[in-house]
Amino acid sequence: MTRDDFIAVENFSFFYGEKQALHDIDMAIPERRVTALIGPSGCGKSTLLRNMNRMNDLIEGVRHRGDIRLNGHSLYDPKVEVISLRKRVGMVFQKYNPFAKTVYENVVFSLRVAGRNRKRELDEVVERSLRSAALWDEVKDRLHDSAFGLSGGQQQRLCIARAIANQPEILLMDEPCAALDPTATLKIESLIRELKEQFTIVIVTHNMEQATRCSDRTAFLYMGRLIEYGDTKQVFENPREEETEAYISGRFS
Amino acid sequence: MEPKTPHIIREFDEAFNALGKTVSMMAAQCLLNLERSIAGLLTRDIDLCRAVIADDNDVDDAELKVDAAGLEILVRFHPVATDLRKVISSMKVAANLERISDHAVNIAKRAKKMLGKMELPETQLVEPVYKMAYDLMKDALVAYTDQNAALGASLRDRDREIDRAHKRVIATFSERMEEGGDITEAYLHLIFVVRSLERVGDLAVNIGEDAVFLDRAEDIRYSKSRASDIAGEEEEESA
Repeated sequence: MTRDDFIAVENFSFFYGEKQALHDIDMAIPERRVTALIGPSGCGKSTLLRNMNRMNDLIEGVRHRGDIRLNGHSLYDPKVEVISLRKRVGMVFQKYNPFAKTVYENVVFSLRVAGRNRKRELDEVVERSLRSAALWDEVKDRLHDSAFGLSGGQQQRLCIARAIANQPEILLMDEPCAALDPTATLKIESLIRELKEQFTIVIVTHNMEQATRCSDRTAFLYMGRLIEYGDTKQVFENPREEETEAYISGRFS
Repeated sequence: MEPKTPHIIREFDEAFNALGKTVSMMAAQCLLNLERSIAGLLTRDIDLCRAVIADDNDVDDAELKVDAAGLEILVRFHPVATDLRKVISSMKVAANLERISDHAVNIAKRAKKMLGKMELPETQLVEPVYKMAYDLMKDALVAYTDQNAALGASLRDRDREIDRAHKRVIATFSERMEEGGDITEAYLHLIFVVRSLERVGDLAVNIGEDAVFLDRAEDIRYSKSRASDIAGEEEEESA
């Protein structure tokens, strides 16, 4: 049984100083599904995504109201340690950012930080993560070469392998294909569809076709408000709100 | 058919409007063809019959144009939501219109063949069936143009009236045929004419269903109960 409100965003507002970036967002993100956040630049989709692993905590002067629960437990519970939270919530960014290390060391980086250095375990994690990221066959003979020698698409899949090495429950992706060519983009999209068998995925994308191809649920945000949230098919075939229709149809001023 | 708010890409609106205009012109030509085919039959006017047969090529060309324009919009602009449904339904409506025009041609050809025979007084029995089919087709096109789901869904019930009228008239013609003689062939022509009108009614219902899809994103083709529900909504609203 999967949970329909694996990530429960409850009446959540977020402020950068005086500026309110999110207004009373309520949404239940289902477990082991892909949920896309779409909307024009500055609508708050990345802010919402980054709140799901409390990355915004690093910014001075921010505050929130409301709550976000992961599998029923508040992210903002004082007992929650941010480091352990981030083990549960992996993140992939717009620009692929492998470390200046080998392919192998990129994948096992978080394990080594946690003091896990047993070679057999690390080997297993590397193979499992690279296979899950659909990269194993391409790099299995280059594990000890620099990650920078890989193509852009391969580097992004390596970042995904790194993000899932710790077997998080959730994978957040902030425009993961924005810096990739169409072929590499399709590979990542295919990978996203495969990864949802294991992880709950939330993806921010400006690419409408990508949202339709990859996601099961789509949320449209505008000016910090959740305008519409529903099954991707419904949102793109028959949106309930005029603003959603205008945005996805390209009639948005 | 013209979108309310301009698209960010001007060429999209241009392509979209051109598609809508082609469908509208095709619909007008089909209505005219049907009208002239029956006028040719009832007034025994061979020129009208010939005009219908000749003008069917324009309808065929228009169907190809709609399909090509629709495909181009799909490939170039990847429309979604209402825009996507407009493109898909335009292509489906064009296919139905082309078949309606084919039936007008069938009627015109039968009418031409009947010109060499004795005039039958029962030919006038075709006219009420034609009026029902013509009105149904017109309303189907209004439902489509105005994106009026309730009107589009209401056509199915009205088509049953055409089916009943079709059966009555065919029974009359069949009885006359059984009497035998030189006029048997002419009655056979009339039976095919009425059958074509009955098919026009069915195709109008298809266009009505396309209108529902366009307006509501619902496919009611095989759901009689859903069609009745949507049709009933209009009556409730107007009550």
